[in-house]
Amino acid sequence: MSRATRTALVRDDRTAYEAAAGAAVGISGIVFVVGLATLLGVVGIDDPVAGLELSVLFGVVLLALGVTVVGFGMASRLGYVDAAPQPSAGIVAAAAFTGIWFAVGAAVSGAAGIGTAGRLAVGAVLGGSAFAVTAFPREDVGSTVPVGAVAGLCGLSLVVGVIGPGWEQALVGYNATLFGDTVVPVVVLFTSLVTGWSAAKAYGGFGARGRNVGAYVLIYLVVGSILTVLVGLVAFVTVRGLPGLFGGFSVGGASLVSWPFLTNGAGLTADVAGVFPALLGTVWLVIGAVLFAVPTGVGAAVFLSEYAEQGRFTGAVEVATNGLWSTPSIVFGLFGAAFLIPRFGNQKSLIAGMLTLGFMLLPLVLITSREAILAVPDEYRDASAALGVSKWKTIRSVVLPAAIPGIATGVILGVGRIAGETAPILLTMGGGVLPGKSAAPDVLGGFQLSGSPPFVSNPALLEATSALPYQLYALITAGLSGNIENPQEFAWGLALTLLLVVLVFYAVGIATRYYFRRKLHQ
Amino acid sequence: MSQTDTAETTANRTDGEGVSTTAGETVEETRPEWTCHETDGETKLAVGDLDVHYGDDHALKGVSMDIPEESVTALIGPSGCGKSTFLRCLNRMNDRIRAASVDGTVEFDGENIYQDGVDLVELRKRVGMVFQSPNPFPKSIRENVSYGPRKHGDIETGLLARLTGRAEPDREEDLVKRSLERAALWEEVRDRLDDNALGLSGGQQQRLCIARCLAVDPEVILMDEPASALDPIATAKIEDLIEDLAEDYTVVVVTHSMQQAARVSDQTAVFLTGGELVEYDDTQKIFEDPESQRVEDYISGKFG
Repeated sequence: MSRATRTALVRDDRTAYEAAAGAAVGISGIVFVVGLATLLGVVGIDDPVAGLELSVLFGVVLLALGVTVVGFGMASRLGYVDAAPQPSAGIVAAAAFTGIWFAVGAAVSGAAGIGTAGRLAVGAVLGGSAFAVTAFPREDVGSTVPVGAVAGLCGLSLVVGVIGPGWEQALVGYNATLFGDTVVPVVVLFTSLVTGWSAAKAYGGFGARGRNVGAYVLIYLVVGSILTVLVGLVAFVTVRGLPGLFGGFSVGGASLVSWPFLTNGAGLTADVAGVFPALLGTVWLVIGAVLFAVPTGVGAAVFLSEYAEQGRFTGAVEVATNGLWSTPSIVFGLFGAAFLIPRFGNQKSLIAGMLTLGFMLLPLVLITSREAILAVPDEYRDASAALGVSKWKTIRSVVLPAAIPGIATGVILGVGRIAGETAPILLTMGGGVLPGKSAAPDVLGGFQLSGSPPFVSNPALLEATSALPYQLYALITAGLSGNIENPQEFAWGLALTLLLVVLVFYAVGIATRYYFRRKLHQ
Repeated sequence: MSQTDTAETTANRTDGEGVSTTAGETVEETRPEWTCHETDGETKLAVGDLDVHYGDDHALKGVSMDIPEESVTALIGPSGCGKSTFLRCLNRMNDRIRAASVDGTVEFDGENIYQDGVDLVELRKRVGMVFQSPNPFPKSIRENVSYGPRKHGDIETGLLARLTGRAEPDREEDLVKRSLERAALWEEVRDRLDDNALGLSGGQQQRLCIARCLAVDPEVILMDEPASALDPIATAKIEDLIEDLAEDYTVVVVTHSMQQAARVSDQTAVFLTGGELVEYDDTQKIFEDPESQRVEDYISGKFG
């Protein structure tokens, strides 16, 4: 019984050791964030900070972090602090450092001009030593010394300028060159990640608690960087697109709000070129696809989950729908071009695009609706049946309302995909590259009654129509020329508009889901 | 038939029917006369030789019993003895389980509900059911109660009904109020009829389910362990309610709790492992002086 390790049940006030380790974690985090900023090009690696070039400053800080981290390990190993390290840092950490040091060895020896076999040998020696240093000593040494060494080496090479702002390396065998302003941030990000992890372990006193804190720091830094990349992506498009989107925008005047980019076509007569026809095309396209796919998809899901006997048939349908959802969109486009177009006036048309995208949306609506319907508890069905309510009425008034949030989720995801689809539109409905305002589809006003079958016609549905992603693609391939004053600005504005349209559809879907979820549970 | 039939004749039967042996040990034989219980009231449900199979599993073996109207009949027995299966046969809820096959007869007011042409909607309107765990719909309290009548078209509430002037909001109000009052829930929810039913406590939800069942005006109410998921206070309320309901309805209740059976029921049927009905008699007789040794063992806690 007495072999279990014991540490103090109640930890004392924060010790200087913990404070130092916490500070090291914090500094690693800051270095990580600044490294991310340099990678995204927000700051340059040769910008002067406190009298030093940023890359040199990175080097100094990383060097200091490396030394500090080794110091933490040693302080614990020599028993100056109250920590609970385990006998080994573990096989996962050992494998990770083996890989890291193998790469370091191969890279450094390569830079020194050693041949392939020599590089492999150097890598293997360094990797092997890293494995030994990580796996065999106690955890406090194993998870700090290899980290300190990596940080020291990277920091030193940044300080000395072995890699720095002017550095470049042609990749032999590839038609590419690595530049310092990419490599330095990557090295900094990586090094700060491992020092942050190691310092966090020291902060937690190693052992189970230390590993926990270390995992936290790793996860938070990685999640943070992913979010940064996502936000950066949107921000990039937004910043570039805003001038185009708001060109000629004004509030007040005769029409209260004047937003020529969204309300004008790209014709010669328009003083500010706009995307109105394509915007309207995309909106109608999504509406048409949803109107086609949601009733059919939900209907099929109801049949498959409520009426059909669960077995080989439903299993086969499930596999088929999953496959259909991952079918490349160009294949759907080809189907639309070969099958739908001959049936709708033998030319590219809005309705052919709607149906093609509807076919694409159908599998996802079917899959998610089926999941949502199957997730409705059987108790509701039993309760309804016990009241003598027929199956169809039960489905309509209990099962489907309870499944609506799930169905809405599927439609949201699907709309996000189809609104940005280019290939099917290219093949089935694409209109002009720079359509004038008169080319905008007038679907609501286009309905006409006639005395002979089919009694109702709508020419707007049968005309070739532009859509935002298609227009963007056409602009790029057409070389951004034409009668537009500033094609770059126009294209970025178009991209931002597409992003906003998708976001608006998302918002509508999420609001629907939220509304029905509230209704179900409050 | 009466229970005063001589026990010896059947005890000495030699055809082996009803006798099973386990590991060489003879198990007590089930005697038909133990289950032939006569009551004063009219028979509401007459079950004749009911067999249920789930695939290869013989869940209920030749059960016959008469359930008198306007009384509480308790079904007790260990887990897996078939009492819930039996209950679900009485409103044909077993039809919903594909693997289940039912043989025998269940006569409701003299008409066999297992013959062709039985309208399940009508049957289940007359034979209502309350489940083990409270299962209100994720709708408002009001909608829960009026769900059955609305779906049966007894109350019209939709947009069309409102437009054509056929909507009867007063009748709906009245029905909801009466049903909730009958289920002893009205006072607790009268001010929040439009709140979601899932916000009620477990005991309130179960009484709401009873109110929902009462709203379609059944003649028989089947309850499958209605209080097993509830705390003692909520259980006591449900038990009071069951006794109260027996004045107007025929109540059949499955329960795990023998105390509950003893408290609320007029007659008790004991099912034992293997899906057979072993003894059926007045509750007092079952609990004080059962004929079967196995029932006595079960009730005193030696078996099951």
